[in-house]
Amino acid sequence: MRVHLVTMPWHPLDLPSLQLGLLRRIVRRARPGDEVTEFHGSLRWAEFLLEHSGGRLRPGDCVEVGSDAIFHGLGDWVFSGVLYDDPGWGTARLRDYAADRGVFIGTALAMRPYAAPFIDACAAEVLAAEPDVVGFTSTFMQNVPSLALARELKRRRPDLAVVLGGSNCDGPMGHALHRNHPFVDHVVRGEAEYAFPALLDHLAAGTAPLDVPGLCWWDGTVSRANTETRRTVAPADIPSPDYDQWQAALDASPVQEHIHPKLVVEGARGCWWGEKHHCTFCGLNGSAMVFRAKPGERLWAEIDRLVRRHRILDVVTVDNIIDMAYFRDFLPRVTASGWDLRLHYEVKSNLTPAQLALLGASGTVHIQPGIESLGSRVLDLMDKGVTGARNVRTLRECENHALTCSWNLLYGFPGECAEDYAPVIEQLPALVHLQPPSGAHRIQLERFSPHFTDPGLGFGKRRPAAMYQHVYDLPEDELADLVYLFDTEPAGIGGAVERRLKEAVAAWRAGHAHSRLLFEEDGGELLVHDRRHGRPRATHRFDGWRAAALRHLEDGRTVPALHRLLTAGGHAVPVADLEAWVRYAFGLGLLFRDGAAYVSLPTWGEPFRLPEGAG
Amino acid sequence: MSALPGTVPHRRSGRRVEAAVPLDISGAGRATAEAVRFLRECQSLGLRVRWRAAGTPSYDPLVLRHLPPPAELPGDPATLAAWRAEHTHGALHHRRGPDFVTVLDRRQRGTAVRLTLDHPGLLGTFLRLLEPTPVAALDPVEREALTLLAAERLVLAGGGWAVTLPPRLRQWPVPCTAI
Repeated sequence: MRVHLVTMPWHPLDLPSLQLGLLRRIVRRARPGDEVTEFHGSLRWAEFLLEHSGGRLRPGDCVEVGSDAIFHGLGDWVFSGVLYDDPGWGTARLRDYAADRGVFIGTALAMRPYAAPFIDACAAEVLAAEPDVVGFTSTFMQNVPSLALARELKRRRPDLAVVLGGSNCDGPMGHALHRNHPFVDHVVRGEAEYAFPALLDHLAAGTAPLDVPGLCWWDGTVSRANTETRRTVAPADIPSPDYDQWQAALDASPVQEHIHPKLVVEGARGCWWGEKHHCTFCGLNGSAMVFRAKPGERLWAEIDRLVRRHRILDVVTVDNIIDMAYFRDFLPRVTASGWDLRLHYEVKSNLTPAQLALLGASGTVHIQPGIESLGSRVLDLMDKGVTGARNVRTLRECENHALTCSWNLLYGFPGECAEDYAPVIEQLPALVHLQPPSGAHRIQLERFSPHFTDPGLGFGKRRPAAMYQHVYDLPEDELADLVYLFDTEPAGIGGAVERRLKEAVAAWRAGHAHSRLLFEEDGGELLVHDRRHGRPRATHRFDGWRAAALRHLEDGRTVPALHRLLTAGGHAVPVADLEAWVRYAFGLGLLFRDGAAYVSLPTWGEPFRLPEGAG
Repeated sequence: MSALPGTVPHRRSGRRVEAAVPLDISGAGRATAEAVRFLRECQSLGLRVRWRAAGTPSYDPLVLRHLPPPAELPGDPATLAAWRAEHTHGALHHRRGPDFVTVLDRRQRGTAVRLTLDHPGLLGTFLRLLEPTPVAALDPVEREALTLLAAERLVLAGGGWAVTLPPRLRQWPVPCTAI
């Protein structure tokens, strides 16, 4: 058979599709006689826009519409007019939606006229490969572009087998996608390593795919959904991706001049923290929380192969959380390579300074530690398993090891109150030298999260997010099964506290670039140079037990614990004196207080800071 | 602590370095090649360097735009002003991979040239010239490579000496995605 694999907009232009890279290997392994080709539709779309807009719509615009606007559905909307054969479909609703929320939609509006001729060109190109099966992978806003092309392919070649899979097809979403779109023959729900080859076997044999777990298929005019399996794919069965066709497509593309390509690798699936304590707001792992990791040696072998083959030193991992074993059997291998790699990894925020140092030494300089909040009670409410003090320590260590830390400050958790935020908001000006969050964001209800599956946690009233009204022409009960994001009544803080939080975060972001709070050892003295925004320039000098105390508090301690440490170190300090000094240092903004614990804020490292987006 | 080349006298305090003597950037010979190496290695290690320039460049001074501007550039205030205005950390750098080096060149405002050096002759010469080297010491293959690297402005050659210009990226800025 001829199997044609497709990734449509808005797959990121700078990344190969891990899904296509895996599927190619899976099909080649299971069915060596099949011919596998690929269509990198996202890249094609950027090329199409560049060419047909005379250079006005550029790859950066695809990022704006396709990646940055995920919570507004702009990328899907661009293609809704093609799916529904109406160039104006949903436009009025989109305009109302954008006006209510202050969302810029000019670029999406400019793109929409190109969507129909693009789908037309895609259909011609895909069918020119004379495929027997076309398999789409769909994540984030790839649904409508994929459906639009699938519909056109089926219109031109009714005998073609159209298959849809990917994260957007997990659980009930996959069945809803299937039953509402008759031109989609099959939907693979969940991991495809076993299911996709099994489906191809049935298609080749002309038999009904009754035994393919999770698969949706047509029984006449009835959409059948096979029971999903609880069996997850073993790491040994997860192949190493093949990016050769992506590289060939990129090498031939004018888009190459506009992007900085990176490799994508996968070390693990699932979440080891989520298996024990599912963070209440997180739906990222879909229906497969079970944590499974490739051995570090194997992950390194995959990266070694891909780096040599593609001559690319930037590597993005898709793991939702790093396997802690990688600190022993993966990161030391990366460090030992001597290559100047730049890796992105999602990690847990309670890493030790030594672990963070190893990340930096290995080139894993871009981390996403899931900090989410700096208040311990709110972190408890989300079952995050970390304290506010620990999160502040992590932010400080990122400065010490020149790690770029991507994080969001989330709020809106059921049960939180103004008193949880007031002490944090008051202290944010003291943190201005540490990397700020991207913003303060109210959480949204995600399918598969505990907040979603248990309405008793506080989000009893929910409906599909408003953005889907300008994306899909479907009734609400169908959308309720098909979509990932839901609107709810706001929970937690609001009003003045919410406003103060957002203003404080905005001030943090504005004052960060020129703020420093630096330790320096000067003989027996410990100096702290304060160059933070909003404070007079100052250098504080500490010696004796005071210097020792400031160092001990780098790990975060209560005053009694600090007193015990100082005493053990030979510093006989009256408790009252220590308490008074802690109050003094706190007053200078040299300490962050989280309940009874204090953590030192000065850094030893001073990375070069550049404006965001300078590259 | 990583060592800086000792051929340029300097004082180092923490992450700050000060060159003790004016650095000759005229392009007349070894002194310029050594000055470039010193400034390049300061960049590579993420050190903040203060230095004074001597001599008038006999080449387009834009090729040094990735290095921190001098505190003084006698006799050429226009070049100094442009250098200060246009200098960006990391604007030119190289990264090592297995049997290849990638180079990013953003010295010219509004451009981002990405090169991969994997031809053995080019790669070997690029790496050799990290150490200031007399052109006369190069063999014919290296001289051909020098011509190509100088044309791409990845090597500064003058006065019979040559030196590689892009620092190796050992310290990432924050955010690391900015370069």
